Amino acid sequence: MLAQQFLNAVSLGGVYALFALGFTLVFGVVNVINLAHGAVFMIGAYAALEAVLLLRVPLLAAMAAAVGVTACAGWLLDRFIFAPLRARRAPHLAPMIATIGAATCLTSLAEGYFGAENLRFPAQTLPVETVSLAGVSITELELGIILLALALMALLLWGLKQSRLGRALRAVAESPRAAALLGVDVEGLFRATSVLGAVLGGLAGVLIALYSNSVFPHMGQPMLHKGIAVVILGGMGDVRGALLGGFFLGFAEVFSVAYIGSTMRDAVAFGLLFAILLLRPQGLFGRAAQRRA
Amino acid sequence: MEWLETFWATYSTLALSVGTNILLALSIYLTLACGLLTVANAAFMGIGAYTAALLTLNAGAPFGAAVLAGALLAAAAALAIGRPTLRLSGVYLAMATLAFGEVVRILILNAEDLTGGALGLNGIPQLAGAVHVLVAVAAALAILLRLAHSRFGRAIAAIRQDEIAAELLGLDVGAYKLFCFVAGAALAGLAGALNAHFTFFIGPSEFGFERAVEILAMGVLGGVASPWGAALGAALITLLPEMLRGLGHYRPLINGLILILIILYSPNGLWDLVRAAARRARAARAGTPC
Amino acid sequence: MRLKIFLLGFLLALSAPIGAARAAEIKIGVAEALTGNAAQYGQPIRKGFELALGEINGAGGINGHKIELLVEDEQGKKEEAINVFKKLIFQDKVLMLFGPTLSNSAQASDPVAQGAGVVVFGTSNTADGITSIGHYVFRNSVTEADILPVTLKVAARKTGLKKVAVLYGNDDIFTKSGYDNFKKALQDLKIPVAATETFAKGDVDFKPQLTKIKASSAGAVVLSALVAEGGPILVQARQLGISLPFIGGNGMNSPRVFELAKESSDNLWVGSPWSVENPAPENKRFIAAYQKAYGALPDQFAAQAYDALYIAAQALKKIKITGRLDADRKALRDALPAAQWTGATGPFKFRQALGRDGKPAGYDAVQTAIVMMTQGQQYVIQK
Repeated sequence: MLAQQFLNAVSLGGVYALFALGFTLVFGVVNVINLAHGAVFMIGAYAALEAVLLLRVPLLAAMAAAVGVTACAGWLLDRFIFAPLRARRAPHLAPMIATIGAATCLTSLAEGYFGAENLRFPAQTLPVETVSLAGVSITELELGIILLALALMALLLWGLKQSRLGRALRAVAESPRAAALLGVDVEGLFRATSVLGAVLGGLAGVLIALYSNSVFPHMGQPMLHKGIAVVILGGMGDVRGALLGGFFLGFAEVFSVAYIGSTMRDAVAFGLLFAILLLRPQGLFGRAAQRRA
Repeated sequence: MEWLETFWATYSTLALSVGTNILLALSIYLTLACGLLTVANAAFMGIGAYTAALLTLNAGAPFGAAVLAGALLAAAAALAIGRPTLRLSGVYLAMATLAFGEVVRILILNAEDLTGGALGLNGIPQLAGAVHVLVAVAAALAILLRLAHSRFGRAIAAIRQDEIAAELLGLDVGAYKLFCFVAGAALAGLAGALNAHFTFFIGPSEFGFERAVEILAMGVLGGVASPWGAALGAALITLLPEMLRGLGHYRPLINGLILILIILYSPNGLWDLVRAAARRARAARAGTPC
Repeated sequence: MRLKIFLLGFLLALSAPIGAARAAEIKIGVAEALTGNAAQYGQPIRKGFELALGEINGAGGINGHKIELLVEDEQGKKEEAINVFKKLIFQDKVLMLFGPTLSNSAQASDPVAQGAGVVVFGTSNTADGITSIGHYVFRNSVTEADILPVTLKVAARKTGLKKVAVLYGNDDIFTKSGYDNFKKALQDLKIPVAATETFAKGDVDFKPQLTKIKASSAGAVVLSALVAEGGPILVQARQLGISLPFIGGNGMNSPRVFELAKESSDNLWVGSPWSVENPAPENKRFIAAYQKAYGALPDQFAAQAYDALYIAAQALKKIKITGRLDADRKALRDALPAAQWTGATGPFKFRQALGRDGKPAGYDAVQTAIVMMTQGQQYVIQK
C-alpha cells in the first residue's frame, strides 16, 4: 500500500502544483492576490469541454481553446480591474476584493449558461490507459499531469532566468519603478503576466476536469482554497515554491489520510501550514521582506 | 401599523443580520486600522457561536452569560495564538490566520460528540432580539469611535503607517497589535453568539473560507478610515442580495459586478465617497471653490 | 466617472420589483436553491414542481381555482432560507410553502413556518431534527433510516458479503446523516466494518482513502455520498483495481451517475422509493412528460417534488378556501396528514413523528423502497 500511496501523493501534488503556478506568478509580479483564479480555472475547463462537445475536436485542440479563452479572461482582468486600480494607486487589498466580485460574476455566468449540474468529458477524450506495475497503478492522465507540471515549471524557470522577457519580469517583480526608469514596458508586462497566469490556470482546469471527471461551476472554490495553502507553503511569488508546495501538500494530505485518518486530513494540512508559517514565514522559497516599491 | 408589522415580520432576520455583520466588519476594521491583515474572524465567530449555543442548549445558561462566554472564549483563543502569529506581517499573517481558521473549522467538524459535527446544532433557542443586537452594535460603534479619536487611535494610525518608526518612537507595537487582534476576536465572537440565537441552527461550514472572505470584503468595501465605513460596508453587503432579489437568476452576477464597480470607483472604500460628498457639500455652502 | 455612476444606478434600477398584482387564487411558495452550490439539486426540484403545476392547472386546478407557484431562490444558505420563508409567509401571504433544498437550511427556516402557523413541505430534506420541529412540518423525502436497512439486506443477500468498508462525506449534513444511518443498520444486521474513511465536499482525489480500503479485507464498500463526489469515487476505485460492489445511499440514485462514471458505474446498489426503471404507469407517464418538457431524464429530486405538489393538491381539494388566511392555513394543515397519493414514487402516505419533547410533531413519509443495482449503465431492479 505504501507504494500506491506514494504514487497517489505525487499525482495529487502535481494537480495542486499546476493550479498554484498561475496564482503565484500573478502575486509575484503583479502583486495581487487573484481570488478569481479559481473561476478562470473553471472557465478553462468549460472552454475545453465545449470545444470537445460542440466542435468535436480532439483533446489537444480543446486545450488550445481553453488557452485562448482564459488568455482573454486574464487580459480582461488586467485591463478593467488591475490596471485602473494601479493607476489610482489603490490600496493593496482593493484589487483582491474586486477579483472576488469577478469570481462571483464568472461563476454566475457559467451557472446560468451551462447549468449547475456536473458535466463530464465524453469517454473518448480521456486517455484511460492504466499503467500497472508490481501492484501499483497510475493512469496515463496522472502521469501526464505530473510531467506537464514539471515541464511547465522548468519552462517558466528557464524563461525567467534566461530570456530577456523573463529578466524584465523579475525586474518588475523586484521594483516596478526602477524597472520603468530603465525603460521596461511595465504596464505591458503586467498585462502579459495576468494573461500568462490565467492561461496556466485554464490549463490546470482542463487537466483537473479530466482527472476528476467532473466540470461544474463551483469547481474553482476548493482548488483556490488549497491553492492558497500551496502558494504560502512554497513561498508567495516563487515558481519553484509553487511546485514544491504543491507536492508537499499532496504528500501531507495523502499520508495523513493513510496513517492518521481521513477525517483529520485538512486539519493536518492546514495545521502544518500554520506551523511552517510560524517557523519560517516566507515559506520554502519566498522573499523575507515584502516588496517596497 | 399593519404595514409596519408585516414589514418587521418579513425583514426582522435581515435587520438582525445587518447588525451582526456590522459587528463582524468592525472586528476586521479594528485589525485593518492597525495594519494587520487577519482573516481568522470567521473562526472566532464560530467559536463564539458554538460556545454560546452549547451553553444555552445543553446547560440552560442565561442568554447574557452565554453570549459573554462566547465573546470571551473567542478572545482567549486569539490571545493564545496572538503573540507568535502577529510576528508575521502582510500576506503571511493573512494566510497564517486563514490556516488557523481552517483548523478550527475542522476541529469543530470532528468533535462530533460535543458539536454535532456536520449535523450542526439544531433548535437553538431564539433569544436574540432587536434590542440585544442594537445595543451591541451601538456600544461597539461608540467605543470604537471614541478610541479612534483618542491617543489610542493615533497610536494605531502611526503603527499602520510605519511600524518601525512607531517602535522607535517608543510605542509598544506588539501590545497594540495584540490588543486589536484580541478585541477584534471578541467582537467576532459576540456576533457569532448573537447570530446563533436568531437563526435556530449553526453548522461548521458557515464559519469557513467563504465567511472569512465575506467579512474581509465588508471591511475593505467600507474602508479603514473610520468605524462608520465598516458599518456601511456591512450594511451594503448584507442588503445588496436582498435589493437585487427581483433579478432572480442573475442576482449573483449583478452582485459581483456591483462589487467590482464600487472598488473601481472608490478603491479606498465607500466611506471615503461619503466623506468626499460631505466635504463638497460643505464647501459649496461656504462658497469656496474647494 | 459619470459612466460608472450611470452603470451602478442602472444595475440597481433593474432590480426594482416589477410590480405585480398577483391575481391567481391559490398561492403556494417554493423556496429552493436555484443558484449556488446546491443548485444542482434545487433546479431539478423546481422543474418537478413546474411540471406538476402545468398538469394540475391544465386539468382545471383545485375545485376550479388555479394554483400559482411563487418561486424564490434561497441559494442554499440558511440566512437566505429564513429571509425567503419570511417574505413568502408575511409579504406574499402564501397558503403553504415547499422547500428548502438542504437539510441545513430546513433546520434554520422550518421553525419560522412552524411559528407562523404555515405548512412547510420539504421534498429533499432527509436529515434528523426536521419533522421534530413541529406539526406544521411535512416531508415526502423518505429518510435514510427507513431505506438503508432494506438496501443493505438485499445487497448482502445477493452478493454474499461478509465485511464492508465505509466511505462517507463528513462535512455535509446529508452524507453524514446517511453514514449515521448506515452505521446503525450495519450494527443491526451484524455486518462487521473493516475500514471507515471520510472525504470532504469538493474533493477531487479519493485515491488515498480508496487505497486504504483496497488494503482492508472488505467485500463491499458502503458509500454515503452525493453524485458529484460519488461519480469520481467510482471511477477512481475501478482505476485502482477495486472491483467490489458499492452500496450507496439516496444521493447515488441519479441517472447522472452514468454520465459521470460510465462503465465504472456498474455494480452499484441503491435503494429508493423512486427508480427510473420502475415500470408503474404513473412513473412512466411522469418520465415521458419530464423528458418532453426538459429534454433529459428526471432524477429523484424532480420525482419527489412532482409528487409533492400532487399530494398537497389532494389536501387542497378537501378544504374550503374562505379567504381568511389564518383559517385557511390551519385548515390545510389539518387536512394534509390524511392525504394519500400514488404518483411517480409509488403509493404514499404520511406518518407522524415525535418532537424533541416526545410529543407528536411533524410528518414523515411512508413508502416502500426499491432496491436497484447498476448494470450496463442502467438501474436494474432487484427483488
